[in-house]
Amino acid sequence: MNTAPNILKGREWHFLKKDYWLMSLVTWVPICLFILLWYIFSAGLPRDLSIAVVDLDHSQMSRSLIRHYDANPMLRVERQFASIDEGQTALKAADVNALIILPSQLEADTRIGRPPQVTVFYNAQFLLTGKLTASALLQSQGTFNAKISAMKAYSQGKVGIHALGAAVPVNSQITALFNISSNYAQFLVTAIIPAMWQILIVVVTLLALSRELRLQGLTSWLGNNPARAILAKLWPYTLILWLHGLLFLLGMYVVLGWQMNGSWFIILLTQLLMVIASQGMAILLFVLVKDAVRVLSLAAAYTAPSFAFMGVTFPATDMALPARIWRELLPVSHYIEVQIAQASHGATATSSFPQMFNLLLFCVAFLPAFLIAKRLVNKSNKPLKVQI
Amino acid sequence: MNLLQLFKFELRSIFTDPAILLTVFGGVLFYSFLYPLPYAQQLPREQSVVVVDLDNSNLSRELVRMVDATPQIQVNRFANSINQAGQFITEDGLAGMLVIPKNFYRDLLLGKSPTLSYAGDASYFLVYSTIVEGMSSAGGTLAAGIRISRLLIEGQAMVLAEEQYTPLKVNLRPVFNTTTGYVHYVVPAVFVLILHQTCLIALALLGAGQTEKNQAGVSGYWLNADAWQLVITRGFIFILIYLVLMMFYFGFSFNFYDISRLAAPQDLIVLAIPFILATTFLGIIIGQLIPRRELAMMLVLFSSLPLLFMAGFVWPSSMLPMPVYYLAQLFPSTAAIQGFLRLNQMGAEIYQIQTLIEQLWVQTIVFGFISYYLLVRRKHIQSTAK
Repeated sequence: MNTAPNILKGREWHFLKKDYWLMSLVTWVPICLFILLWYIFSAGLPRDLSIAVVDLDHSQMSRSLIRHYDANPMLRVERQFASIDEGQTALKAADVNALIILPSQLEADTRIGRPPQVTVFYNAQFLLTGKLTASALLQSQGTFNAKISAMKAYSQGKVGIHALGAAVPVNSQITALFNISSNYAQFLVTAIIPAMWQILIVVVTLLALSRELRLQGLTSWLGNNPARAILAKLWPYTLILWLHGLLFLLGMYVVLGWQMNGSWFIILLTQLLMVIASQGMAILLFVLVKDAVRVLSLAAAYTAPSFAFMGVTFPATDMALPARIWRELLPVSHYIEVQIAQASHGATATSSFPQMFNLLLFCVAFLPAFLIAKRLVNKSNKPLKVQI
Repeated sequence: MNLLQLFKFELRSIFTDPAILLTVFGGVLFYSFLYPLPYAQQLPREQSVVVVDLDNSNLSRELVRMVDATPQIQVNRFANSINQAGQFITEDGLAGMLVIPKNFYRDLLLGKSPTLSYAGDASYFLVYSTIVEGMSSAGGTLAAGIRISRLLIEGQAMVLAEEQYTPLKVNLRPVFNTTTGYVHYVVPAVFVLILHQTCLIALALLGAGQTEKNQAGVSGYWLNADAWQLVITRGFIFILIYLVLMMFYFGFSFNFYDISRLAAPQDLIVLAIPFILATTFLGIIIGQLIPRRELAMMLVLFSSLPLLFMAGFVWPSSMLPMPVYYLAQLFPSTAAIQGFLRLNQMGAEIYQIQTLIEQLWVQTIVFGFISYYLLVRRKHIQSTAK
């Protein structure tokens, strides 16, 4: 035990070769998981979202409007129903994402300048899909309206830019900053993978520790110098887990070529802090619980819902205080802020220091862990001395 | 050993195992409060944006007031240039910007159509869509106002002008989650996944625990019992346990979070039974494949995020690559999430989710046979070991 680090590394390697499960977790499993998570979203942006139309008008204009919806690459007119009831049944079965009702007299009313009302019911239970469908529909309706207004303006004798001005008084240009194509894969995957990585760090650390617990018992493994035993045990995994972090960064920003506007150095340094911080939390839980199954249950409770708290889907500023407190206790929520600030915003290095400092604070968790470990060792040694 | 004895033995090993109890009852209870916590406010509001007003006219100032008045947006500050605004976004974490071009008012009067530029930070997608929503609604109101005043200038009566500013009106109505709230969106689906995952862990712990005991040389009732009886007894016990937990989730929790409950209880049970059985049998399989209890947690933890995103409620199933789509269909959670959402949140009739129910029954039968085979194999290995 009390030998030079390179021998320890050899020992850990030997140890890994014998544990097929742990070996998988530090080699091919993370890579497969990262690839799977990317592959789920690899389509990038939803296309051909299915919609249904109830055409109560059956006019040339209503048919041209339906074709106009269908022409939008985001939408596909999947079904047409004769009655609203049938349409609603399909909507309830989630066969279509939205139901559009074109009222009777649509064309006639438009011609005499009494705007008919098109009603769109969209499925907001699948919120993301629903919202994307609704905004695509609004966009289609907008261009259709502009076409009609422009035609009217032409027929009233306005020409060129003025006819357009009459149809669309204000143009709008919408820019998705830092994610120009509003690629959904990029947005979700860059956050889901770090959440997965945090789970990986905690689980690998705990499984490696559990093996010592199983093979030689906690106190005999901790020995006379628990801090040294713990650090010697953890550091090879720190490096491997850090390497996993590097791998997914390379995958996202080099292989897939997503925008990387900031400093690799800062992100990598933050990753190292992230690994150590998560390992700190893991070892603290471990010496408190001292049981492989129970500590993994706690780790599950602690890390599994991280993604919800990271503030990437739902903004952290809109979370209530208890949620913000829980969020602060998760290393990955500090890490992700640095990754986003650096990779997408291209922020300066100094602006990431507060989050890096927070991660450094997590490393303090090692101290109580050492103290508890020391106490455990002392406790188990005492009766032994009495016997002697 | 008869079925009743086996039932008692199984109940005892489940209810005397603190890890199983902690996962099943503790986990389900804990997550029911923790998971909805970040979304308690339902909708993001008042996102801070920076305005670059290059026009500085009455109209541009009015537009800024209109944008600020929307519930989605709060105008936090003004910048002199787009560059400066960009700096505010990267350095101070503002969520978006609005750029009103030079001569905006004059171009409008001339009947040219000037361009308003909005931008939102799309590294945070919900923030982005909130900003776009707020800005387009303010921009749309402004545009409508301009069309109305033009019609008035052209001699239309006010009443008509207000009517005719657009050729076709659109009424967008969100259904099933009428407030488009985030809790209502995430919780009904995630809770089904939580039931699925905790059930898998419990059975894997049970199975691996018995394997560990066997390896330690301890024999047990599970080696004497008939494998079919063991499979059926476990299925029955977990139906009892998980129906109670479902009553808690779909009854108390949904009521607590004000989530719609449109389905009749008997319809929910028709879906719940094959779901619980398929999950239970999958859990038995996992329990036979892992050598140690802690690996159960590991497998389930790693599968949670992929299962969540493959289930088709965040990311549409039609957009999944084919291999991922079929992979997702192997797990009971996928069909169950789709089925429960349709029944309970969307008000579908039971016949409309028939294929999902059938899918779960097929899983039940296939997983049932595999778990039977694995349990027989274990008995065989143990008896030859002796």
